[in-house]
Amino acid sequence: MHAILEEQDAGSETLRRARGGDHDAFAEIVAEHESMVYSLAYHFFQDRGRGEEIAQDVFLQLYRNLESIESPAHLLFWLRQVTARRCIDLMRRSKLMKPISLEAVELRSASRDADPLLERRLRRLVADLPEAQRLVVTLRYQEDLDPSEICRIVDMPVNTVKSHLHRALTALRKKLGDHR
Amino acid sequence: MNLDHELRAALQRKTPAPGLAERVLARAGEAPRKPRRVQWAVAASLILTASLAGWTAHRRAEGERAREQVLLAMRIAGSKVAYAQQQVRGISK
Repeated sequence: MHAILEEQDAGSETLRRARGGDHDAFAEIVAEHESMVYSLAYHFFQDRGRGEEIAQDVFLQLYRNLESIESPAHLLFWLRQVTARRCIDLMRRSKLMKPISLEAVELRSASRDADPLLERRLRRLVADLPEAQRLVVTLRYQEDLDPSEICRIVDMPVNTVKSHLHRALTALRKKLGDHR
Repeated sequence: MNLDHELRAALQRKTPAPGLAERVLARAGEAPRKPRRVQWAVAASLILTASLAGWTAHRRAEGERAREQVLLAMRIAGSKVAYAQQQVRGISK
């Protein structure tokens, strides 16, 4: 408990310094959250270039709006929300069909018994889901958020989120079954 | 197969190429962030400048109009004087 409070204090202090124009503090914030932001975009588009582009845009927007960020918890929520919106916006604007470059897929699996081929196939299947389902699944399994948290980020009723999740999992199970 | 488990493994966080913060700050440096107070001051000075320019243009137009009126009045007065002189010369003959 004490450690969590200390961590929150440190986060608040970093945020305060970043608001004051301290670039090192801003870099600390980026370092802390870059994998979350980059991965949301990367898993959404299955494209490293898009991941980098969205991550840069999101952190640039953060840099220009640091004064509106109230706390480390608000920062985390803000980053997830802005990233999710950017992904949807970019998808709709460019009507982008997801280029899936197998070479671009990074295999950074933590578990030794993981099946890289299955993981790759799953990422491709997730990337083929309709955009709302894809976003909900990514937030659920990348960020380990439950539907009540996801609904705030994507601005949807919780039952809609649950429905997207259910449909996505059903579709994934079916496709995995079809492929096996 | 446990799909939840497999999805968690497949959708693990990845790391972007090193130096993301530097790239963001480099882009931020192209258009430096201004504190909100400075933004308000800039906006206020722009409005003030625009108002001043409008007021100056208005005053200039008014001055121009007044000058034209004076010139017209002088032209009318001149023609009246010329007419009077002509009459006086006629009487003297």
